[in-house]
Amino acid sequence: MQNFSYYLRLSLHNIKRAPLPYALTLMILSIGLGVFFSNATLYYWMNRDPLSEQSHMLFFPRINAVEQACDSCLTPLRVLSYKDVQKLSSSAIPSAQAGMFQSGGYARVPNTQNGPTPVTIRVTQRDFFTLFNAPFLHGQTWADNEARMELILHYNAALKFFGRTDVLGQQLLLDGELYTIVGVLENWQMLPKLYDVNNGLAITPVEEIYLPWETAYNLGIKSNSTTQSRDSRNYNENFAVNGREGEFYQAQFWVRLDTPAQQAAYRQFMDNLVASEKEAGRHPRPNGNLLHNMLDIAEAFNERNRQLDAFAMVSVLFLLVCLFNASHLSLNRYMASQFEFSLRRALGASRLQLQGQLLTDVLVNGVLAFILALLFAVLMLLLINQLLPATSALNNWQPGLILLMFGVALLASYLVTVYPAWRASYSPLNQQLKA
Amino acid sequence: MSFTLLIKSLLRRKVITALLLVQLALTLALIANSAVLAWQARQLANQPTGLTLSNLLRVPIKPTLPELRSQPALGDLMERQLSAIRAVPGVVSASWMNQTPLLFGGMNGNIFVIDKQDTTNIGMVPYQLGSVSMRETLGLTLLQGRWLEETDVDTEVIVLSEQLSKQLFPDGEVLGQQTSAGRVIGVVSDVLTQRYADHQNYAIYLPWNMQSADYGYQLLVKIEPGQLDRVREQLPAVLKAVELEVDIGTLQSFAELHRTLFRSETGLAALLAVLSGLMLLVAMISAYSHALFHGVQQQKEIGIKRALGASRPRIMLEVLTESWLTTLTGAAAGVLLALLLQQQLSKVLSMPALPWYLLPLTVLLLLLCVSLATWYPARLATRVSPATATKTL
Repeated sequence: MQNFSYYLRLSLHNIKRAPLPYALTLMILSIGLGVFFSNATLYYWMNRDPLSEQSHMLFFPRINAVEQACDSCLTPLRVLSYKDVQKLSSSAIPSAQAGMFQSGGYARVPNTQNGPTPVTIRVTQRDFFTLFNAPFLHGQTWADNEARMELILHYNAALKFFGRTDVLGQQLLLDGELYTIVGVLENWQMLPKLYDVNNGLAITPVEEIYLPWETAYNLGIKSNSTTQSRDSRNYNENFAVNGREGEFYQAQFWVRLDTPAQQAAYRQFMDNLVASEKEAGRHPRPNGNLLHNMLDIAEAFNERNRQLDAFAMVSVLFLLVCLFNASHLSLNRYMASQFEFSLRRALGASRLQLQGQLLTDVLVNGVLAFILALLFAVLMLLLINQLLPATSALNNWQPGLILLMFGVALLASYLVTVYPAWRASYSPLNQQLKA
Repeated sequence: MSFTLLIKSLLRRKVITALLLVQLALTLALIANSAVLAWQARQLANQPTGLTLSNLLRVPIKPTLPELRSQPALGDLMERQLSAIRAVPGVVSASWMNQTPLLFGGMNGNIFVIDKQDTTNIGMVPYQLGSVSMRETLGLTLLQGRWLEETDVDTEVIVLSEQLSKQLFPDGEVLGQQTSAGRVIGVVSDVLTQRYADHQNYAIYLPWNMQSADYGYQLLVKIEPGQLDRVREQLPAVLKAVELEVDIGTLQSFAELHRTLFRSETGLAALLAVLSGLMLLVAMISAYSHALFHGVQQQKEIGIKRALGASRPRIMLEVLTESWLTTLTGAAAGVLLALLLQQQLSKVLSMPALPWYLLPLTVLLLLLCVSLATWYPARLATRVSPATATKTL
């Protein structure tokens, strides 16, 4: 310990002796690390697995079920129709499954003076909350998938409309219809929101209100993101029939397949389904069955943020440049103090003791560079959020992430110091002392 | 001064020189590629839109009551809002539309020439619904036939954008032709409708009323030059006076929409420019400190040279030449790296090839920065008096 404090003092003394070269080295190192940290933060939030315990079991099936013949149309649409969802949920293999889409509307508490407030809605089925681990604070999910005038609120929506969360049994007026609240979710978020990647909604917050699927079709509530109609029905009239029977595509569909055996069985089920549809003359397009795992979904829908990918590549290069540069500078710095190293060797300090000194230098450098780099990363994040507004939801630092960054800073400072110090401590003694 | 000696002296400091070279090469590669991306973003943002961006305003409207979202109440609401807007001083023209040019999303469909579906089908074309006045509001020029009239409302006639008419009817016979969307009665000039449709200038203009406004609708307002800010401030109050049960979204000028449209490209370009600036700074710092250290180390050598009669400018030239030599060597490697990086980047982004003149230009820029950074240490080195430098000999 005494040794350590001596090394520490020596390390600080060395800094004080030549402050300019040291400041330059430190500055270059922390600029490089800062750019890298800011980008790593975005990249982490963009590409993390939001449901690590079960994401490998969640799948998005797609069938090429558009009822217009087209031999060159090999890829299914990005969204599903009511009929697709119905057909795909006719299997008992998945342990949970739900069709869903995002919508929007205006809600207000009945018999109050407050005007209508815009809300985001997810129309979905009872298994949604199991599929994506959305925890209930009060109440529970719907008893089955039938139509019912019942909705589930997100924690934030409960606070927004009622100022409290225990609101089971209360009523809410949504687009002129009266619903009873049967559940309130905890303050739950999923980032990235992988269940709605195909509409580019991956970094938006989860919805405020959850509405039963069949109710939405009864009332003509449609998706507010992607909808496609592939026939000449009028979907503004009698949506309860047209929306269910027609070729109106707007939904996502997720299933949970717990084991590889179940996944294989579900693939088989999809093949059988398409074969029997083809036999019935309802599947004129080529078989294009797809079963995407949740972790591949952004790639599958071509919804990765390419700008961030490119920036990631470049910022790693930039870190490399800064590392090379800083080690070049610190080599210069250690060469300048070669004489002192040699003197201490001549007075009997072992190489091991010099190594101890070296590691202390690394620690001091690492801590200073880390602090400066964090400051710089904050500035960089502000700039990036300004220039690419889509990234503004992604700049959160968790303790784990910060610890990881500290590790990277130490490693970088070690890499920068190790070769120069080694060179300095191994120089021939007498040659140095002669001068 | 001899190059062989210089190279020998560089080779004596292999590691330092190698570090310097790698860093210079990376810097060059990054700067060259950032420049290309920035240039591409500029090109994208500067392409003609066919619209007068500075005097158009978009007002997104969504009725908050379901009754107001369907006909006939919807049409009535639109008419009331439009006549109130037209009465505001400074307003030239106002129309409703189902979707705004420049904005992604909304109503898209396919279109083909009747009886020629196989050869003419286009998958994704914006269907632009709106009042008859939208031609005036958007400033569309009539190129063929006639524009939509009040008597056409809810009939099967359409007007095509020029780009779309050329694609559907390459032989030029457009008017009176039957398509899956209706009979063509006119062709108007192109505007930038939807960037990610099959072609960004495709558009079909239809005289249909909106059956329902589940996703809201847009009021587009053309304003006299210089009056936009004043009208923008007035409009929310004007619209609220017409009908309270509507949600009025953020009013945006077309110039703002246009900036948003290319924001991810321009954002990335700006970010890379900042990064390139930092890289140049880092390169300059490194050149500066390298020359400074090296100068101190070589004090003795320089002193001897001075004592033997080398002039100051000559010593200066020597120090500078060394940094030029390293920069040029690093830059040569950087040219290769730049091409490699371009290859990698074009895997994630659509990116043009590097133009031939860009690389020499970047090398020149790098050379300039490095010389600038070396100049001061080089001057310090030449100040060494022969007497002090050779004292310990």
